Amino acid sequence: MGAVRGEDDGVLLMRRWLIALALVMATVASADPGGVRIIVNPKNGARTIERRTIEEAFLKKRTRWDDDTAILPVDLTQKSSVRERFSHDMLGRDIAAVRRYWAQVVFSGRGVAPPELATEAEVVKYVASHAGAIGYVSSGIDVAGVKVIEVNR
Amino acid sequence: MCWCRGLLVAWIIVTARVVHADGDLPDDNAIQIHGFVSQGGLLTTANNYLANTEHGSLEFTEVGLNFTKPIDDRLSVGAQLFARDLGPDGNYSAKFDWLQIDYHWKDWLGIRAGRVKVPFGFYNDTADIDAAQPVALLPQSIYPETDRNFLLAQTGVELYGYRPLGAAGAVDYRVYTGSLYLTIPDANGVHFSNIEVPWLIGGRVMWETPIDGLRAGFSSLAGEIDADYAFTAMPQLTGMTVQLVQDNYMGSLEYASDGFLFQAEYLWSHAHETTSAGVVWVRAEGMYGLASYHVRPWLQTTLYYSLLYPNLRDTSGPDHHQHDAAASVRFDINAHWILKLEAHYLRGTAAIDSSLNEGVAREDLANQWALFAAKTTVYF
Repeated sequence: MGAVRGEDDGVLLMRRWLIALALVMATVASADPGGVRIIVNPKNGARTIERRTIEEAFLKKRTRWDDDTAILPVDLTQKSSVRERFSHDMLGRDIAAVRRYWAQVVFSGRGVAPPELATEAEVVKYVASHAGAIGYVSSGIDVAGVKVIEVNR
Repeated sequence: MCWCRGLLVAWIIVTARVVHADGDLPDDNAIQIHGFVSQGGLLTTANNYLANTEHGSLEFTEVGLNFTKPIDDRLSVGAQLFARDLGPDGNYSAKFDWLQIDYHWKDWLGIRAGRVKVPFGFYNDTADIDAAQPVALLPQSIYPETDRNFLLAQTGVELYGYRPLGAAGAVDYRVYTGSLYLTIPDANGVHFSNIEVPWLIGGRVMWETPIDGLRAGFSSLAGEIDADYAFTAMPQLTGMTVQLVQDNYMGSLEYASDGFLFQAEYLWSHAHETTSAGVVWVRAEGMYGLASYHVRPWLQTTLYYSLLYPNLRDTSGPDHHQHDAAASVRFDINAHWILKLEAHYLRGTAAIDSSLNEGVAREDLANQWALFAAKTTVYF
């Protein structure tokens, strides 16, 4: 009986470990970080993307995918709550800080900010029609024509 | 030059297209236009500083308009026209702040040619841009307003790049060489003419460490200025020349996290000045520490302490140092409009121009004084 109880305890312990592992995995690689999904063009071969790569792409420090296609980040307008979540989770700063960053870049001749689109549907349309595009939308948006990729943190 | 600037503005207006019109997707190669207008005021309790500030001065105005035109996903051209008025400087004379061709071959190697901004420390290449700064007046020990007439951009080439280093973070680097086309206004009774900069070389490397928000940098800049000079009080003395060879170095450290920003920079420079009267070596130091906090996304508070020693051989008298303790608030009224208010307590007169103070020698000016600044900027 003692041995059976010991086996039960072992199974229980194993289950707990598996649940904990699943939770860790869910936070490490997620297609839906904070309710925001990262989308790319279906021609893009990437299945996952590092959070740091997203930050570099949206701040235009990294401008090429691995196959040398130009990265084309696309933003939502600054009033968007989806952008607010994206900025906080992926760029590690609020929208005001991102705006100050682009003021430095734009007025010193080092580049231009990504285009800002008014709706998530427009973001999907833009990403679907540009091979190197990367954007973000909230969970409820129809993502037909684009590919959702997982984010590794 | 005037017809050239007018032609450029006309071309921008004629060729500008609305980036996002009629629900169509944006044209990735559309011309982008941005601009800003700033108006400020300065008031000191003693000593005229940067302008005639003892009775308050509104001669603290800046305006800029730029365009960038991507030709393809690697090549772009752009220019920024800039004019300012700060006391005796600027007087709304428009000039090209930058004007360049940019070829971004790879992320680790690009080239810019033309009139290109000079990266030096955190702020030199953005010193004209009020919207990019937490304060109205950057620490004057390192970013003096008077140097903005000539040290913000050089005419030549720049190589630049960005390289991820894996677990070690990433590094951003820029190296450049070229020349400056400058005029130096009369100051402290000396008039300069035939000014040439035969060479200028420098670079900046900024390391983004693996610790989120922590970056460290090193900048260097060296160059030579040749000029003729004369004393305005003694015009009969002619044929005097000056050759100034100077090298400058700066270490920079920043930590930004959760709305906090901490920065510290240390500048040291050596100047080898050969004049008709002899040779002089001067070593100078400047430094500051800054702490800032975003109370709200629209409200930023900042404190900094800045210290200047223009000649390390003698730091004792009030004219040989300048301490500046500043407190500033920045209001982002909306996405395109900001207001800054700040107060400075200063000790020493090393950065004061005597000619703004009726020729009174620096050592005879008030040693302890206060400066109040307000500045508002609209940008798009």
